[in-house]
Amino acid sequence: MSGSTTEESLKRKRSKVPEKANKRTKAKDSDERDPQAEILQLENEILESKKNYNNIATLLELAQKDNDDDSTQFAMVSLCRVFLRLFASGNLARRNGQSDKDVVVVQWLKKRLGDFKQIIISALGEEDTASTALTLAMRILQAEGKYTNDKDEYNFPKAFLKEVVEALILSESEDIRQEFCEKYLGEYADIRFYTFKALKDILSEERSASSNEALFDNAFDLLSFFEDVPSSAEEIGEFYIDAPKKKSHPVTSLNQQKKQAQEAWIALLDLGPNRDQRKRVLQIMTRSIAPWFVKPELLMDFLTDSYNSGGAVSLLALSGVFYLIQERNLDYPSFYRKLYSLLDANILHSKHRSRFFRLLDTFLSSTHLPAVLVASFIKRITRLCLNAPPAAIVVVIPWIYNLFKKHPLCTFMMHRVPRSPEEKEALENEGMADPFIADEEDPMETCAIDSCLWEVVQLQSHYHPNVATIAKIVSEQFTKQSYNLEDFLDHSYSSLLDAELSKQVKKPPVVEFMIPKRVFLPQDLDSGDRLGACDTHAIDSMESPPRVDAEETDSI
Amino acid sequence: MAGSQLKRLKASLREKGVIGPQLSKKQKKKNAQDGKANNNRRFQKAADLEGIREEFNPFDLKHNARGPKFEVTTNRPAANNAAKGRPTEAKSLGEERRRQTLLVELNRRHKVGGILDRRFGENDPHMAPEEKMRERFVREKQLHKSSVFDLEDDEPAEGLTHLGKSLSFDGPGLVDDFEDDISAGSDAAASDDEHRGSKRMRPFDSEAQDDDGEEGQPERKKSKQEVMKEVIAKSKFYKAERQAVKEADEDLREELNKELSGLHELLFNRKKAQDSAAVNETESAAAGKERMERDYDLRLRQLAQDRRAQPTDRTKTDEEKAEEVSKRLRELEEKRLKRMRGEEVSDDEDEEDVDNNKSDDQPMSGPILFTETEEDDFGLGRGIKTQPTATELGFDDEDDFIIEEDLIASDSDLEPIESDASSDEEDSNAEEDDDEFTKGLLNDEETQNPVFSGQLTGSTVSTDTKQDSNGLPYTFPCPQTLEEFISLTEGISIQHLPTVVQRIRALYHPKLNSDNKSKLANFVAILVQYLAYSSNQTELPPFSILESLIRHIHSLAKSFPIETANAFRSELESFGRSRPLTPNLGDLVILTAIGTTFPTSDHFHQVATPAGLLIARNLERVPKQVTDYVQGVYLSTLALQYQQVSKRYVPEVMNFCLNALCALAPEKAEENLGQFPIHDPMPGIRITNGRSFTVRKLTPADCIKDDLSDEEALSTKLALLTTTVNLLEVAADLYSGKSAFFETFEPVKNVLVHLGNKSCKAKFPAALNDQVGKLRSKLDRMLRLAHMARRPLELHHHRPLPIKSAIPKFEDSFDPNKHYDPDRDRAELSKLKAEHKKERKGAMRELRKDANFMAREQLRVKKAKDAAYEKKYKRLVAEIQGEEGREANAYEREKQMRKRAAKR
Repeated sequence: MSGSTTEESLKRKRSKVPEKANKRTKAKDSDERDPQAEILQLENEILESKKNYNNIATLLELAQKDNDDDSTQFAMVSLCRVFLRLFASGNLARRNGQSDKDVVVVQWLKKRLGDFKQIIISALGEEDTASTALTLAMRILQAEGKYTNDKDEYNFPKAFLKEVVEALILSESEDIRQEFCEKYLGEYADIRFYTFKALKDILSEERSASSNEALFDNAFDLLSFFEDVPSSAEEIGEFYIDAPKKKSHPVTSLNQQKKQAQEAWIALLDLGPNRDQRKRVLQIMTRSIAPWFVKPELLMDFLTDSYNSGGAVSLLALSGVFYLIQERNLDYPSFYRKLYSLLDANILHSKHRSRFFRLLDTFLSSTHLPAVLVASFIKRITRLCLNAPPAAIVVVIPWIYNLFKKHPLCTFMMHRVPRSPEEKEALENEGMADPFIADEEDPMETCAIDSCLWEVVQLQSHYHPNVATIAKIVSEQFTKQSYNLEDFLDHSYSSLLDAELSKQVKKPPVVEFMIPKRVFLPQDLDSGDRLGACDTHAIDSMESPPRVDAEETDSI
Repeated sequence: MAGSQLKRLKASLREKGVIGPQLSKKQKKKNAQDGKANNNRRFQKAADLEGIREEFNPFDLKHNARGPKFEVTTNRPAANNAAKGRPTEAKSLGEERRRQTLLVELNRRHKVGGILDRRFGENDPHMAPEEKMRERFVREKQLHKSSVFDLEDDEPAEGLTHLGKSLSFDGPGLVDDFEDDISAGSDAAASDDEHRGSKRMRPFDSEAQDDDGEEGQPERKKSKQEVMKEVIAKSKFYKAERQAVKEADEDLREELNKELSGLHELLFNRKKAQDSAAVNETESAAAGKERMERDYDLRLRQLAQDRRAQPTDRTKTDEEKAEEVSKRLRELEEKRLKRMRGEEVSDDEDEEDVDNNKSDDQPMSGPILFTETEEDDFGLGRGIKTQPTATELGFDDEDDFIIEEDLIASDSDLEPIESDASSDEEDSNAEEDDDEFTKGLLNDEETQNPVFSGQLTGSTVSTDTKQDSNGLPYTFPCPQTLEEFISLTEGISIQHLPTVVQRIRALYHPKLNSDNKSKLANFVAILVQYLAYSSNQTELPPFSILESLIRHIHSLAKSFPIETANAFRSELESFGRSRPLTPNLGDLVILTAIGTTFPTSDHFHQVATPAGLLIARNLERVPKQVTDYVQGVYLSTLALQYQQVSKRYVPEVMNFCLNALCALAPEKAEENLGQFPIHDPMPGIRITNGRSFTVRKLTPADCIKDDLSDEEALSTKLALLTTTVNLLEVAADLYSGKSAFFETFEPVKNVLVHLGNKSCKAKFPAALNDQVGKLRSKLDRMLRLAHMARRPLELHHHRPLPIKSAIPKFEDSFDPNKHYDPDRDRAELSKLKAEHKKERKGAMRELRKDANFMAREQLRVKKAKDAAYEKKYKRLVAEIQGEEGREANAYEREKQMRKRAAKR
């Protein structure tokens, strides 16, 4: 039967051919003048009668042509219009009382629709046509969804959406993904639902594929679009295609949505991100990823792996781990030991410093922690302060103050009076070594509580006046209840510098009362004390070796 | 009590004895005789009457309606019966007052004009009518007394007068009239006065004589007329006396005037005085007088402007000078230490500062200049200088002066003050100052040049640009933008730049013109910009030039601290904003200049603090190329130099130095060297094999040169390593007293150990190895010392804070009427509030009463008006009715009569 129908259609085609050929010839002339007018004409003819359906094929050809951008796009748009009309008039749906002929026509049309979709998908991959193609695709998707789900049945053109999503993910262009996210993914619940589903399928299929990194990045772009996760069913948004009438349909359920998202994320994380990607994921972990998860436990592996990998990744993973501990009661063995190990030489120079300090403050905020452990943290971080930028010291000192307030036992680190005469004598004779064991990994065993904060005292003579003043709070009376850490967290060299330079000079600044005889050239070395001599040595050696001889003769 | 009110009143009056049966004559007499008793009785009676009145008008007194609130025992007199007020009395008093004030106002409302009774004492109820009259009379008399033509004057008639003089022919006045020169107004008037005065005096004299004559008689009461006469006579007498005194003064003045010319000679010692005097004699008297007055005025002005002579300062001995200098230095040093500790410099010191600044405004004159040069000779630079003695200062060290002859402000006090051609006394002071100043800034040759002297004495500005032997013009326009300055110096060799600056400073010294101050202020900013600009040129100017530029900026900064600071800060800002991590040579030079120009030891300084921050920020970056390391080393040097005095800790320097050592080391260290962050060096940074090299010193070119051959790079790296090791040594010395010295320098030791192991050692030249080894042993020693000196911290030997007491404070003698607010301000406030409330209530009450009163008055007026109207109306009606009635009667009568007539 199918053979006969095709034959018939062919026949019909053939019968049309002369007529069309005429037109083509006519159109040929006009083609030079105005291809768009021709396309319009073709489109109108299709809409006028069923007999002109073959124009669709012509249009498809036009749309596939590569040479002329304008006309292909125009053809695509007009095709879209044609198909929308066909959807609306029901010509694309099979009905009960249809004759064989009609069925054949419907099937033929459906095939053409398939062709058209392929054209659109391929257009999506190209930079300049992508935006139009996306709009067209979504229009077709909407129409298809709308007119195919008849009575009770809810049909979403999942296959087509999946194709679209796949094209999007594989596409190079960032803009088109952005557009898709903003216009559709963010707005419509059903699209979101099926996109998640599609993503999961695509990602699990492509796992073996080679271009993992680009795929990961693109998919990450799509998934990380959502900063806020809808918290209730009302917030999930509108429906692109009419919502299913059944109440219990998964599309309408928030839980199902979350589940889809979770699966998509897991599929994404299974791709095995590299270090940078891991960082990006971890940065948005607690805010944008974990809330999607119905079962956050599924993140556990990923997070603990990240946490154990060390460096900045550990720092970032910390918030995720904390989220799990807080929300899911995750039992992380020797958490504080791990945390303690994070306090390495780079932590105070890291750009995630303030983020880390916020968390560290939370972890150590409990008054039930053993004082020994708190003391270890204090001692280690002050040790690090000896090599830290001022912006970090500015945070550390008030933080230490707060800890001292919470753990009065630790205040022995600031004030320890030798009691017995033997002790005093020993001090006189032998001095004192720092009891703190810097290399010990267990914060309970470092003996930090027996040590003193000599480092903070040294920081009281820090070169930056504000830092020095802040460091002095440790040796003042502890009258303030606590410092608000947020006031100190977000500083940097440039912010400190801006603060200094933005002030107007009102009071005349003090000028050095002596005009030095030499600035660059060596000074009279014999008369200077050793310090000055060494220093000027350094400068001389730095700046003006050729002049040394002359100057020396001068000073002699 | 029985009976009616009247009966009771009568009874009580009788009881008190106010009324009673009529007394017999005898009794009356008896009563009159003991007058005292009588007097007493009158008072007694008044009191009794008062008592009775009170008794019979119980509503006159206000009592507590329900008695006292609480029964209390007190040693005060029982107050429960005492009246609290007299409502009726108060009411009537208020009513009366209102009638006097408000009612008057009310009646005067909407009225314009009127007659104000200004008669003396009219509204004074305390004056008796007679007194009033008398006072009025006196006033009337005084008012018209001045009139000479008063016919009612009591003076004896003198007959007719003209211009107040008698017209009688026998009087002396007439004769005078003719002789008097009218033009000599004042004299004539004076004589006139005299005459009149004598005339006036006469009657008084005669009267006095009269009085004398009457003296013997017993004093009788003077009549009113006599009294008045006396008064008048007295006033005339006083007037005459005043006149006489005035006359005498005038005479004296005249005399002085005559002697003045002699005084002039004494005062001004003029040669021409004689001549002029001779000429004067010949001149007409009037012209002479005029001239004299003019002269006098002139003299007077001169005298007023003459400066008072001041004692000259004694020339100080050398010891005293040295003492002064060292004292000043000590003071400055103390102030610096104070600032270093972050203490506020106290006010008086501030003022001193201001004074210093003021004196700095003329930096090249006086003792300030002297000290400056001394400071320059004090060769320690910015080292430690606690108590410099005279010998340390070395101000008698002639060699130093010779060395820096070409530098600014150096030789002024050595040059003898030239005996200027004209030693005019009048303009010596300012001239000398300027001369000295010029000498300070210019060399001999320049001083001799007429352009400068002309400029400086403020005479005509010669615009032609002469040139000295070097081809340098002597005059320059003061550049106001960087471009101007650059174009100005274009044709001039860089060697002469300091001379140009010197000359500009001399030409536009603030003392010469008021505009110069702003010009020079601008010029400093340009110099600062130029400093950065010139250092960034491909061909770096020689350091001596940069140095002298910096010194010029420094010395200008003393006069223009704010402008200089702003210039430096804007340089820093552009450095911080546009190229935060890639400093160029200009930035380095600017940072160096800041380090010498401003006290970097201050706890906070508007320029030094941001500069320090910028240095630290640049040290914190991760160095990539060799040039980065070179810049870092230089910045570290600067940072350490900034902290030379205050010994503040700069973590970034330690980080950078340690990192540089690790990066330059031939091999990476296996073990962890310390808690400083280690950046893995870029490939090609590590020293490969420098065994055969000699260690050279770093040059500024190393900061910028990018493409180095391997050889060059290696030698630069070796130089870097040496300098860094040096730097660490300096740092170790600098921070040797710090409490965490051990922790700070332990990593250094580790790194040095790493540098000293075999694999590294083999690739260094021997000198470097020596250096490393030396520093290591030194550090070992210092660390051991630090270990010995370490003590547990005892930061909290504070006085324990008192625990806040929660026990209420009890008052032993509590008085509920008193307020015990411990908060003084609050107590004041509540007191004021209460007062305000009270006043407000009172005012409201008064206003209400006023309104009532006004309503009452208005009602009264209306009633009166209505009544008058009614009366008038009734009268009119009655009148009309009467008239009508008459007419009616007449009509009736007429009717009657007609009737009667008709009947007839």
